[in-house]
Amino acid sequence: MKLNQLTKSIEVFKLLFIFLTLSTSTVFAQRTVKGAVRDDNTNEPLFGVNIVIKGSSIGTITDVNGSYTLNVPDDASVLTYSYIGYYNQDININGRTEINVLLKENVSQFEEVVVIGYGQQQKKDLTTSVSFLSANEIKNVPVNSIDQILTGKLAGVLVQQTSGSPGAGLSVRVRGVGSITAGNDPLYVIDGIPISNDNNRGFNNNNPGSSYAEQPINILSTINPSDIESIQVLKDASAAAIYGSRASNGVILITTKKGKTNKPTVTYNTYFGMQETLKRYDMLNAYEWSTINAEGRNNAYRDRFPAGKDTDDNATRAKNVPNQPGILIPTEVVPYLSNTAGLTNTDWQDAIFRESPIQNHSFSISGGTENVKYYGSGEYMNQEGIVISSGFKRYSGRFNLDLNSGKFKAGFGLNPTLTKHDLVNSEGPWFDQGVIGLALSISPIWPVYNSDGSYNFGGNAWGYAMTDFLNPVALANEVQDNMDHNRLLGNVYASYDLLKDLTYKLSFGSDINSFNRDFYRPSIIETTGRKGLSAPIGTSQTRFSTNWLLENTINYNKLIGKNNISLVGGFSSQMENFASSFIEATNYPNDLVQTINAAGQITSARTFKEAWSLLSGFGRVQYDYANKYYATASMRADGSSRFGKNNKWGYFPSASIGWRISGESFMENIKTVSNLKVRASYGVTGNFQIPNYGSVGLLSYDDYILGGTSLNSGLAPSTSSNPDLSWEKTRSIDFGLELGLFEDAVYIELDYYKKNTSDLLLNVPVPFSSGFSTELRNIGEVENKGFEASLSVRKRIKDFGFSFTANFSTNKNKVISLAEGVPQILTAGGTGVTLWITKPGEPIGSYYNPVYDGVFNNQAELDKYPHVANARPGDFRFLDINGDGKIDFSTDRQIQGNYFPDFTYGSTINLDYKGLDLNISLQGSQGAEILHLMSRYIYNIEGNMNLVRPSLNRWISESQPGDGQTNRANRLATGSNGQTSNWHMDDGSFMRIRNISLGYSLPKALINKIGLSNVRPYVSVLNPFLFTNYIGYNPEVNSRPDSALNPGEDYASYPLARTYTVGINLTF
Amino acid sequence: MKKILISIIVISLFQSCEEGFLDLSPVSQANVNDFYKNANDILNGVNAAYASLQNGSLYGGRDFMDLTEYRADNTFDNDPSANSGLRYNVDRFLAGADNTIFENVWRRLYLTIYRCNIVLDNIPQINMNANLSKQYQGELQFIRALSYFHLVQLWGPVPLNLKVQTTDESRLNIRNSVNEVYLAIENDLKSAAANLPKSYPAAELGRVTSGAAKGLLGKVLLTQKKYNDAAAVLKEVIDSGDFILMPTIADVFDPKKEYNKEILFAVRFSLVNNSESHGLYYSSQIGDFIDPALRNLYGTTDSRKAMLDLRKPVGTQNQTAIKFFEEPVNNVVGTDFPVLRFADVLLMYAEVLNEIGYQSSGQALTYLNQVRTRAGASAYTSTALNNQATFRDAVILERRLELPLELHRWYDLVRTGKAKDALKAVGLTIQDFQLLFPIPNSQVQIYNNPAGFSQNKGY
Repeated sequence: MKLNQLTKSIEVFKLLFIFLTLSTSTVFAQRTVKGAVRDDNTNEPLFGVNIVIKGSSIGTITDVNGSYTLNVPDDASVLTYSYIGYYNQDININGRTEINVLLKENVSQFEEVVVIGYGQQQKKDLTTSVSFLSANEIKNVPVNSIDQILTGKLAGVLVQQTSGSPGAGLSVRVRGVGSITAGNDPLYVIDGIPISNDNNRGFNNNNPGSSYAEQPINILSTINPSDIESIQVLKDASAAAIYGSRASNGVILITTKKGKTNKPTVTYNTYFGMQETLKRYDMLNAYEWSTINAEGRNNAYRDRFPAGKDTDDNATRAKNVPNQPGILIPTEVVPYLSNTAGLTNTDWQDAIFRESPIQNHSFSISGGTENVKYYGSGEYMNQEGIVISSGFKRYSGRFNLDLNSGKFKAGFGLNPTLTKHDLVNSEGPWFDQGVIGLALSISPIWPVYNSDGSYNFGGNAWGYAMTDFLNPVALANEVQDNMDHNRLLGNVYASYDLLKDLTYKLSFGSDINSFNRDFYRPSIIETTGRKGLSAPIGTSQTRFSTNWLLENTINYNKLIGKNNISLVGGFSSQMENFASSFIEATNYPNDLVQTINAAGQITSARTFKEAWSLLSGFGRVQYDYANKYYATASMRADGSSRFGKNNKWGYFPSASIGWRISGESFMENIKTVSNLKVRASYGVTGNFQIPNYGSVGLLSYDDYILGGTSLNSGLAPSTSSNPDLSWEKTRSIDFGLELGLFEDAVYIELDYYKKNTSDLLLNVPVPFSSGFSTELRNIGEVENKGFEASLSVRKRIKDFGFSFTANFSTNKNKVISLAEGVPQILTAGGTGVTLWITKPGEPIGSYYNPVYDGVFNNQAELDKYPHVANARPGDFRFLDINGDGKIDFSTDRQIQGNYFPDFTYGSTINLDYKGLDLNISLQGSQGAEILHLMSRYIYNIEGNMNLVRPSLNRWISESQPGDGQTNRANRLATGSNGQTSNWHMDDGSFMRIRNISLGYSLPKALINKIGLSNVRPYVSVLNPFLFTNYIGYNPEVNSRPDSALNPGEDYASYPLARTYTVGINLTF
Repeated sequence: MKKILISIIVISLFQSCEEGFLDLSPVSQANVNDFYKNANDILNGVNAAYASLQNGSLYGGRDFMDLTEYRADNTFDNDPSANSGLRYNVDRFLAGADNTIFENVWRRLYLTIYRCNIVLDNIPQINMNANLSKQYQGELQFIRALSYFHLVQLWGPVPLNLKVQTTDESRLNIRNSVNEVYLAIENDLKSAAANLPKSYPAAELGRVTSGAAKGLLGKVLLTQKKYNDAAAVLKEVIDSGDFILMPTIADVFDPKKEYNKEILFAVRFSLVNNSESHGLYYSSQIGDFIDPALRNLYGTTDSRKAMLDLRKPVGTQNQTAIKFFEEPVNNVVGTDFPVLRFADVLLMYAEVLNEIGYQSSGQALTYLNQVRTRAGASAYTSTALNNQATFRDAVILERRLELPLELHRWYDLVRTGKAKDALKAVGLTIQDFQLLFPIPNSQVQIYNNPAGFSQNKGY
């Protein structure tokens, strides 16, 4: 659709809007009914209860004292009383003028209204698998984004916090990993607008020579969690298929708060907290480290000159083994060897981590009448990171307005935000100047600061064949790296009841994002490997994206006898335009002005634009008979610019059936069972997270220099064309059972599913002789199957309320097939010698490395067993897996686990008694393996970098074999000890107490006097306890969350924080 | 009713949609569909073929050096710890077919060949200046021949593709015989020598000349022991007068005198732009990487010895040989990498003449001594080199002294059959099969054709 056509359409829409707003309905009153509404259990007055004359839109709400007054026409006979969390009651008026009502609290989830794609449904009517989280469960957790709230809460939804960096993204996986390369993030739909994942893409890493992409930006971090009314996760294909080519990874529907029919309600929530690292490494101190440093050098010396003695001085050593600095003892280390007291002994973790504050203020105003409802909020959040100099701030506002004038309804939602990221290059290995990796690696003999207060760079260009480490504190404090993200997320809609049961709705949404990032690396930070001032580098990056969505839908609902039919159909078009720029400059005269204008030379400048479009038609039929027998079918057709020209359109059908057994007459006598339902579904969904121009062969610039300085532009194909390229297809089935007992006080939900994703978008390796390394094709198949269970128990006994929820999920991932001629895909990770394998019969991205099996204790053992050529006693013994009598790391490898947990679980307990409330939640994961690649450095016993404490158990000699598992110290390691193997792997199982909070709501009688309706101070601890054997900071770590082929690598990660919070909720 | 009507109009308005909405072409990236349509596109394609040689796995970095210098006897990798010995293992003949350095070089050479093929395929359809068309073809033929020359020397029989293939076609590639590959190389270089100009304007200095094509052809012929053909073409290069020996060896590598008259062909780099620069060649902080025996081979007056002295950039612990030294800016430098220079041509010619027939005090001795005396070394007398065998040894020794670190040593050792002895001298016992490298594992797996595409014997 062209833009001018769109503008034209908006004009028509405006006219329609004005026209329809004028036709308001008239109200006539005859007599007055008064009364009060109370809780039948506690007898507390209920504020904000909806009272409507049945069959009309005439109604009112109760005030703070539960009282109401309503003018009722003569012919009205029944009043309906409804209140969230309570059963509705219909009361016959019978000519009365005063009606007092007791409402019964509804602990059942069955009556809850669940938002589904393009509609909503009561939970009891669902025939698909949908998980649900309400505002109640969201409050009280001091987190900065809503995905953190999902952690451990929902069966089948695996939320992994791979990084503790403020504002960083979480990895959310609904029912496993179906795609190998096309992305596994679910589709987020905020108030009906499907949000593009493209903005999650990390920015260019600013560090010169860096090969590591940064952790992705979290597009959900702009959303104020207090604005959320509910979160639903559409897990099976039948629920999600209405979102067609974007639904394969599940759909997460986020609904924001709307005004309710009551007096203006003002809330103010605030909290203040302190954060600290949840877990740290146990590193050696300077004295311990120096011992191993010298030992490693002595061993390297004697490997080359067997007659050498530990006591030989450097001159002697240099004479015996010329030109090998790796055998010399650094002069700075010598005093430590004689245990001279009082030498520098820096704890570099202490130097880069801190206790840091987090605070949040949010207020909201909401209210409304039958005709106008409003909700407005504002929020300020400030989180300082636990790594020095890192931080995250958010300023957000939201305004939701809904108009209702009988047949005509309209409204809009507007959500402007500004988030400010104070970035520190924390993650990634030391050679990418990751601050954490450096702090773990740099020798503790160097101080942070020199005596004159300047930064100490002793660890850089030290000599003695020591690896160069920059001062991480200097990097964190002095490198300026700030990103501002402005976002405007908005939607506007209008609907009109064309007939009694037929509603037409037009909606328009847009999501506008603007990022601005400035980076400056001052001259006082040395270049790696070079002493003295560096040439400063500055970069400036921007990114701007606009995404718009236009949707027309028609809804039809009809009850004919016991036949209930509802239909929805519509068309939508969506487009995203994306523009970015990058400028890099150097030759700054000084560090005073750090923006690009001060730079003497622009070294790189580029801009980039891209776009995608999606055009869709969809429809769904839902039918039920007598609330017992259910059937649903839906269909969506998606056409996208991303698909190859031979495959422009995809079709995504689904169907589901359900039987509510508890609705049958033969169940009436079984009082214990309040609800029993079985359901089954089948559907086809797609994954369109493929490159925007993946089907077109692209050319890349590769320039050449001629005549000394003249740059000659060169262009060559970088990707091959594939006009058949299409979306990935997922066929899935789901069987579910829901059981409510004792009026749903106990509620159990079980699901089994199987998802088969085919036509995987795969960069298939091709012979290099074709001119390419890989080619993007739709090929192969992956299966995910699993079981989910959730249980909830809710009970209220007078003043005591109790609820307990638990969930449990397993998912088994298996590759069914790959491309013809591609028996397996080997993927390297942080180093070329670390491999993951993806092959039929195994999960995606299984670790595939040699197996180490202790150390050779003496020459006799060494001679007896196959070993690498230069191995010596004290080096690792690797298994000769193929039994050919030699160790060859190209063949002596085997699969050793994967990053997928065997099962995950979560649980929440809520208790309340007379205003006191206690909430405890926990989550856990069992059976995931982590590749702790940091062991390659801080557990290699080379004495080159600082080491973890277990390094003290190293092999020293045959009579001092240590723990028999840890190799000998050697600066110039022999025996391929550094070869990535199971030595570098660790169990990622953990159980974490996620949150404990305790609050107290002051008695109403007390606070009503001062005009307040709720005052609740609380204290909470986020992540109070973590139980794990994992060696690193965070057992959920994943250096490359976007890459399914090589997951689970820990190459220095940002630790999670433990946060102590005090806060207060106020409602006026 | 009126409202319904309006609504239906609105709906149908949004339904209507133009096909164009779903057909979005890349905005910021050129695509293959609209490329290779005019002379300028072809020029861009040719430049990209040159740029491919700058890659870090070829002349822009360490991988190539691992295969052709470290593997031989001139240089050592002293760091078995780094990357679990990835490079160390290549040096010490411990590396298997999974070693990614082999794969890197293989891949990059074939990508370079593809860049030549795709442009060569398209040139005939372009309406352009005939001379320019010939020049472009000649440049690409040279780059393609150079790539195949490396491939055939490193791996023996390799797939020979002279046209662009689809990926499905390339899956059917087999290892063509060494003779087939050499024939294609010779054809390319003969055609390039005929097509290319003798020289270029200053701003284009760096493009392949006919002299460069002939020089490389001479080397290809010498490698195949086709001495008479080699002599003829090398003589043409020498007699052309287009190339000279620079007054001193230091001049040849002086960053201020790049692409001087001694250079037949070099891969060019510059500090002008980050992507055109490279890290210091051979830079290492772990000890001396040059064989002490090599240093001792130089006479006291030989200025080439100093070219191997180590030097550290200011403030660093890294060091490299003076030959490739330039003070880095942000850890990168812009020095060219010489592929073929006149001293090499003279030594090849001397070798060829000696192989054709030893002549006491012949031209061969003259050219050999030209190279020696330029460096300040004493000239050989005809009595010292009084037969073909001693002369042959002297030429090979001279190549070692003149051209270390310039990626010739491994090829020279294999060509002259001296690899096993030379490596024994530095303590490495190797077997015949190790004169070829293992085919990268990934490729053997992808072709999955044991008959047509087998791994080299012994690996």
